[in-house]
Amino acid sequence: MNVVFPRNMAALFKALDEPGARVLAGGTDLLVRLRSHPDSGPATLVGLDRLPALRGVAEDSGWEPGLGTKDGRGDGSPSESVGPGTLHRALRLGAATTHAELLAHPLIRARLPVLAQALADLGSPPIRNMGTLGGNICTASPAGDTLPPLLALGAEVELAAKTGTRRLPLASFLLGPGRTALKPGEVLAAVCVPVPGVDVRQHFEKVGRRDALAVAVVSLAALVRTGHGGKIVEAHLAWGSVGPTVWRCPEVEAALAGRKLSLTALTEAASIVRSQVQPIDDVRASADYRREVAGNLLLRLAMLE
Amino acid sequence: MHLRSSPPPRADALAKATGAERYVLDFAPAECLSAGAYRPGAALNIAHGRVLGVDASAALAVPGVLRVLTAADVPGTNLQGIVHKDQPVLCGEVIRHAGDPVALVLAESAESLRRGLAALRADIEPLPGVFDPEAALKKDAPLVHPQHKGGNLLLGARIEKGDARAALKNAPVVVRGEFSTPMQEHAFLETQCGFARLLPDGVLDMTVSTQAPFRDRFEIGHALALNPFKIRIRAPYLGGGFGGKDGATVQCLLALAALNAAGRPVRMSWEREESILAGYKRHAVHLRYTLGAERDGTLLALSCRLTYDTGAYAHLGCEVMELGMEHAAGPYRVPHTHIEGRCVYTNNPIAGAFRGFGVAQVSPAFEGLMDALAAKLCLDPLELRRKNALLPGDENCSGVTLTSSVHLAECLDELAAHPLWTTRQAWRAAAPRFTRRGVGLAAVFNGMGYGRGLADMAIAKLELTEAGEFLVYNSVADMGQGNAAAFALLAAQELNQSLAENPGAVRLLQPDTERCHPSGSSSAGRTTYTFGNALLKACAAMREKLLARAAMALFVDETQALELAPGAVLHPASGRSLPLTALARFLKRDDRVCVGEFLMPVAQDPPDTGRAFQIGFPHLFFSYGAHLARIEVDELTGRVRVCDFLAATDGGRVLDRSCFDQQAQGGAAQGIGYALLEEFKTRGGLIQTADLSTCLIPTALDLPDIQSLAVDGHEPTGPRGLKGVGEVGLNGPAPALASALEDATGERLRDFPLTPERVLAALNKRRPPSRRRA
Repeated sequence: MNVVFPRNMAALFKALDEPGARVLAGGTDLLVRLRSHPDSGPATLVGLDRLPALRGVAEDSGWEPGLGTKDGRGDGSPSESVGPGTLHRALRLGAATTHAELLAHPLIRARLPVLAQALADLGSPPIRNMGTLGGNICTASPAGDTLPPLLALGAEVELAAKTGTRRLPLASFLLGPGRTALKPGEVLAAVCVPVPGVDVRQHFEKVGRRDALAVAVVSLAALVRTGHGGKIVEAHLAWGSVGPTVWRCPEVEAALAGRKLSLTALTEAASIVRSQVQPIDDVRASADYRREVAGNLLLRLAMLE
Repeated sequence: MHLRSSPPPRADALAKATGAERYVLDFAPAECLSAGAYRPGAALNIAHGRVLGVDASAALAVPGVLRVLTAADVPGTNLQGIVHKDQPVLCGEVIRHAGDPVALVLAESAESLRRGLAALRADIEPLPGVFDPEAALKKDAPLVHPQHKGGNLLLGARIEKGDARAALKNAPVVVRGEFSTPMQEHAFLETQCGFARLLPDGVLDMTVSTQAPFRDRFEIGHALALNPFKIRIRAPYLGGGFGGKDGATVQCLLALAALNAAGRPVRMSWEREESILAGYKRHAVHLRYTLGAERDGTLLALSCRLTYDTGAYAHLGCEVMELGMEHAAGPYRVPHTHIEGRCVYTNNPIAGAFRGFGVAQVSPAFEGLMDALAAKLCLDPLELRRKNALLPGDENCSGVTLTSSVHLAECLDELAAHPLWTTRQAWRAAAPRFTRRGVGLAAVFNGMGYGRGLADMAIAKLELTEAGEFLVYNSVADMGQGNAAAFALLAAQELNQSLAENPGAVRLLQPDTERCHPSGSSSAGRTTYTFGNALLKACAAMREKLLARAAMALFVDETQALELAPGAVLHPASGRSLPLTALARFLKRDDRVCVGEFLMPVAQDPPDTGRAFQIGFPHLFFSYGAHLARIEVDELTGRVRVCDFLAATDGGRVLDRSCFDQQAQGGAAQGIGYALLEEFKTRGGLIQTADLSTCLIPTALDLPDIQSLAVDGHEPTGPRGLKGVGEVGLNGPAPALASALEDATGERLRDFPLTPERVLAALNKRRPPSRRRA
């Protein structure tokens, strides 16, 4: 197996054109899969970590609220959901930026605590040093720790190909377990995240079977904007590990609007969650447990009050 | 006793911390062939099946594959096992669990081995299996070993004293409970491994990650019809063992490979998945208990029935059950006991030795009923234990009079006086939102040594090298527990050498059946006790000898006028001294060697019970411990966080405090995993937690700082008064955490592990209906 490390985007696309080429980001998922299927591995791994264009955190100058595609190309549909709060600006997170780099970044910590918390709960220090945000997204596991916060934030993905780039809402990018809208020859270049206003409370909780190196059994990312009298103006909620992709529940978001962040309101919302969510049994937890906890995690929001 | 200003670091600390220490595979020659076992059951989803054939043609066509061996190629009995020889090296007719091997591949490299294994095919016809011990004991159950006289019952046994039935009938208070404890994976860092070579003179030279190098020779010899004395085993430091490397893992397969390798060296190293598939597990046990007491809490009688699932092969199933039964009533005075045990074959993974050997399984049951009794009688749970705790001279639950040291009461007193216990009410009341807090405790013990009927012996060899240093020929493998370092320390103290000033003053040679003298295994909390005693004798003989030989050179008439000093023999009256480097050169090699041996004492006049156990019953020495846990339970998820953990341990006199604490902490950590997290799952004999992403053990984040307290004990027969402390620490966390959970939630969970699902269900039972689900 060859491993190549292109140093610019042109070289990247050239390398990806070779038959049997496959992108290698941090390798924390890919290498595990290659170990279990050593005979079906790609001929060439194309590493992303020497491409400055894919790394780092920057103000996203291309962000236009409500618009799904930046340059009009591609099949992106208008974004249905943008993060709650005033959209002063958005951040562009390079897809090959490691979890540890993001976690250490002051803008992420200060403005996207919901993402920072998920990153802090992801894997372990070595995994966070190697794994990348783009890798977590492209693996498209329903248990991917960064996915619920990014969906609740209304993130978009920037996909780059030899022919140009396109943007898609993350929700349209994630198609199912291990499946994304990535086309052959395309790479995930960046994730564009609108920054919630200061009136938005951000919360993330992951329930795993242990406190490190754990696959989420259930997780919840919540963004809640409250207005006058502490009433909820808008709530964006996204659950991990309770369905084939990250799960949203518009009924619950609607039910919470106009209510206070009280245990009563949250208990009612939790019962809607339990009636709607359709998790599965696996070796980590039963469907019943996931259903109950998916609802229960909402109650924790009472502590934000 | 020689006083030292500060204790030297563990003899193995620096080399291990810097990565310089060499483990088994670090010694393997580069030109090793690779050997691997073909275990088709898991891939075929068959845990019990008839082997119709193995098709090696495709595998043999793989470049680099040299041989594919099957049962037909195995000389000898093709049966391995420590006591009960029932486990084929390679299965020819039947596989009895999903990890059974049917072929052995020998290849030029790890890569060709992998390809060869992938190309092998086996034709296996599924047979009806048994996966639950109760079902296995039914009349028409499929038989795991049809030739075994007892059907699927490997062994049924009874330990009793007095008349438990009558005593329970008349007891003013009776509590009952059923419990279950799960399988547990050892999950040592270093998986099972070794390398071997058949030498031109016919000696099979093996280096193996093993807890029992001397016994391995006989197990291999029996299975493969080899002369055990033409097998040499070396056992460098192990990267963990915990019991899982007691008995054949790679040994017989590797020996078979070496016999077919035309004199070339061969290595075998199990991948993690193979380690989980084929390695031994802790026995899952079902326990049914009844305990009777007076109204003041004085225990009267205990009756229980334990059912051990030994899986496909006996391994040490009978011996593990024996330990469990012997500890079944807890470290208490109980006049009447009736303890029944059944050890049952199933088509589940093989169960065997695991730190806390049978005892970790019974501790949650006897302590669970102690809590139930305390609740029923409105007694303080600590007081109830204190009141019934075994004292020196008492008769324990299997009828042995304790002439050995017993300091359980002192362990409990340590807890009672500790702030974590005395401040528990206030701490509990200050629980944050959505959180319940609870505090629990447990009193536990663990027998030391093999027990009556199997000589627990060690022979220590000590050499004064030509360079004037002392070399300890360690015969008992060090799997990380620190016994080798303890031997260096014991020898240094006895020979009055300073390891702090000269770490090379006492060196260690790790077990090698060719160079060291035979000793028992690294197991049973016996290692430092038995070998340490033997070593002290060897040291004493060495000291006598060196003083006598130095007398001439120093012109001294009485050896009493001399003393052994660091690096020299000293005549204090004159100030003259003879360096050991010089003295060593006076002596011939044979003369520079001293040997000491020790046999562990056994119970005199053993009680007339437990007759089913030919070996291992009863024990005379026990270590004791009292554990305290403070936990937080999350009401929304059922997750349990261990906030504080305290282990007070009676291990006799403490030789090396840091090693002692490490054993207490390591045992407690493994016990916390066993209690809360480690849910080893099988379905139809097939392992569902087949890798380390699903077979979970605690990480550093899942464990609290574990405080270790030592009570000031002294075991008169122990080397410098010590007893083994390797196992007792594992037995406390499960009962202590279940107790803390009951304190927090009001519900006693009796099925382990105490997973968030079970905890949440328990919380829901107690939650007012309105809160449960809107």
